[in-house]
Amino acid sequence: MRNQEKYVNWVLLAPALLILMATTLYPFIYSFITSFRHWRLTRSPVPGGFVGFDNYIRAFGDAGFWNSVWVTVVFTVISVLLSMLIGLAIALILERATKLNTMMKSLLIFPFAMAPALKGFSWRFMLNPDYGILDAMIDAVFPFMKDVVWLGEPYWAVFWLAMTEIWGWAPYIALVFIGALGALPRETMNAAKVDGATTFQVFWYITLPQLMPIIVMVGLLKTIFSVKMFDQVVTLTGGGPGRSTETLNYYVYNQGFKFYDMGYASALAYILVTTMFIFAFIYVRFLMKGDQD
Amino acid sequence: MAKTRDENFWEGVRWLGFGATFMFMVFPIFWMVLTSFKVARDAYSTKIIFTPTLNNFIHIFQDPYNFGPLLFNSLIVSFCTVAVAIPAATGAAYAFSRFQFRAKNGLMVGVLSSQFVPPVVVVLPFFILFKNLHLLDTRTALVILNLSFVLPFTVWMVKGFIDALPADIEAAAVVDGCNRFQVIRYVTLPLIMPGVVTSAVFGFIQSWNEFLFALILTNQKAVTLTVGLMGLQTDKGILWEHMAAASMLIMVPIFIISLTIREYFIEGLTMGAVK
Repeated sequence: MRNQEKYVNWVLLAPALLILMATTLYPFIYSFITSFRHWRLTRSPVPGGFVGFDNYIRAFGDAGFWNSVWVTVVFTVISVLLSMLIGLAIALILERATKLNTMMKSLLIFPFAMAPALKGFSWRFMLNPDYGILDAMIDAVFPFMKDVVWLGEPYWAVFWLAMTEIWGWAPYIALVFIGALGALPRETMNAAKVDGATTFQVFWYITLPQLMPIIVMVGLLKTIFSVKMFDQVVTLTGGGPGRSTETLNYYVYNQGFKFYDMGYASALAYILVTTMFIFAFIYVRFLMKGDQD
Repeated sequence: MAKTRDENFWEGVRWLGFGATFMFMVFPIFWMVLTSFKVARDAYSTKIIFTPTLNNFIHIFQDPYNFGPLLFNSLIVSFCTVAVAIPAATGAAYAFSRFQFRAKNGLMVGVLSSQFVPPVVVVLPFFILFKNLHLLDTRTALVILNLSFVLPFTVWMVKGFIDALPADIEAAAVVDGCNRFQVIRYVTLPLIMPGVVTSAVFGFIQSWNEFLFALILTNQKAVTLTVGLMGLQTDKGILWEHMAAASMLIMVPIFIISLTIREYFIEGLTMGAVK
């Protein structure tokens, strides 16, 4: 029995580990090596020579790259902050387990389960200046915005790109927060209320501090997924107007699959990976800590 | 206890917020649904009252759009991805949940982190590899790449469900002389079935919604539904009435299956992410 037990875990782990090694570890290493090579797929099907850090150095002088970094930062900040804020607001609204709230919680699954590519198309349709319903609504409330072509103005385009992401993620974040709110001890809150604290004071001084660990976790997770976002760039804006919604992800995609510059695309991809892993590292540290408790 | 002025105020805010949330969540979907039943002329307007038609749903299955094969591709790819991912994930999740071994923490971090590798990094080398193996534009290629994000997530999700199951339940079976595989097969698996099904559904949805890999790796034979939408962009602009009908084809099956397992779905989704 003992002897047999010894290897059982490895037998159970083997299929998953082998698949993951093939599908993530292999490309991870391959891209790393390619990032030090010169390789245009249009000219040669086999990789060219090693060029040291040339691809990385090139990135630092590339205005398109810096633009994409800036777009990614702006997009990430807007989408993380707003989806957390809206998510928390929705959670507080639906906190009590009434019948109506339970129904609403089911509805929250819909935007989250919708294909990101579809999110981009559906918002693009609603924002069309000629027949978009959302554009018409905004114009009715704010007549001075009648002439704004939402996806034609650089800053608005980034904002709406973030909006498609917020629309899908705020409901998910709300569900996480509802779970967390339900697990908080009630005694302190009730005691504070008896002592005459207002609803807002209870929230601000008691509920919010207790939620903090979860807020940090969700914030990190959302940051990672915001940096990863890709589909809506293609389906909402196509990177435009100009280059104003070209995220780093999209820029890598263009270098790799429009210009077929594999070496440069790999180097850019690795810059992206490094940034992501800083956030991922912190997130995983938090999560594993929770696992050992 | 009588409600104070303060409580009444927040009760009002809550109701307003409820209405706003409902509008915000449902309206974009509602508008797509409405548009899918409109004739072209009505689709390019903000009309709410119109004569509905089912023609859009018929048109997308005809030349030149032919969404039939795309639907088939999406189904096969998502189904195969889950069929490979779930058994592998369940095994790994069990090992992580029930065994103590030296490399465990490192491996768990590895599995967890592999979720955070940007898809564009994964697809670059595989594009070259599949090109050399003549696997571009095949469903097999998509299944392989979809595993890269479906598998880590499902390992983590199934692990959550096994963690929630007390180990004592299994101990009794071990005493009765079952070996580990029998314990898993006859004790653990039946008890965590809802969790496994939930994870499978989630993996299916993720594959079904996948866009980037299919966009890069397919162009004709293995195109999936999400990438098929790109074909509705013409020189004259996007054919919104067809776009809306195709969107329904993508959304509705996902909505139905996620509603049927609603409770486990919410539990499974929120459990793994924060603990």
